Amino acid sequence: MSPDVLSSKFAALADPTRRAILARLALGETSVTELAEPFDMSLPAVSKHLKVLERAGLIARSREAQWRPCRIEPDALKDVDHWLEEYRRLWEERLDRLDHYLRQLQMKEKKRGRKHK
Amino acid sequence: MAESTNSLVEKRVVITRIFDAPRELMFKVWTDPKHMAEWWGPNGFTNPACELDLRIGGAIRIDMKGPDGTVYPMTGVFREIIEPERLVFTAWCVADEDGKFCVEILNTIVFAEHNGKTKLTVQAVVVKSTPEGAGALAGMEPGWTQTLERLDDYLSNL
Repeated sequence: MSPDVLSSKFAALADPTRRAILARLALGETSVTELAEPFDMSLPAVSKHLKVLERAGLIARSREAQWRPCRIEPDALKDVDHWLEEYRRLWEERLDRLDHYLRQLQMKEKKRGRKHK
Repeated sequence: MAESTNSLVEKRVVITRIFDAPRELMFKVWTDPKHMAEWWGPNGFTNPACELDLRIGGAIRIDMKGPDGTVYPMTGVFREIIEPERLVFTAWCVADEDGKFCVEILNTIVFAEHNGKTKLTVQAVVVKSTPEGAGALAGMEPGWTQTLERLDDYLSNL
């Protein structure tokens, strides 16, 4: 997966409306009109969000049917989740180090405390 | 729109852990650059530069140096500081090896008292990402990482 694709996915996901659209599509194929319903938004505005999602490879739009239903790409979030998993590992490692450092720090303080007594 | 479904596609990492250290000390090692430089970054990494301007809007600058000598710069800005309870900061970092992909992450660190220990919760949300790399976003020279890599190559061939 190229960094550009991953990057455009994260950018697409950064918007709450687009996340909501994606969440709705996770439940099944839907028309644009239906998608627009819960939002206080014009159809062209919704279409704009759909274009961003489509370009990021998160959704696909059928070319066959007249009403061009939208659906979520089955592997849409796989690489995003993979990256986040790596990122989580990084944080876990960082916290391991923090834990280790705090122990050392407190041990030193205890020793110093004893000396002063 | 179901909020619970929405949270499925909201990309965040949440980690909670209890540390055997008082909360005040914990807050100190997160906010004092001398301490921070000792533990920040993955295993085997050192932090040759670590600057924290601890005030709202204040800058964070950390150069993490990997075991192979590659430097991964990280910059950030403090958004919220409530001693010793809460720390919110935005961080920009290069997320891939070529320095091409950069993410902006909003980190919320909560320090909770837990029977003399500290319950730490880290929440990281990716808020933005750009394919251009850390350069443009973080106000550094683009291709800085590559430059360092080249320098590294050059030095090892001397």
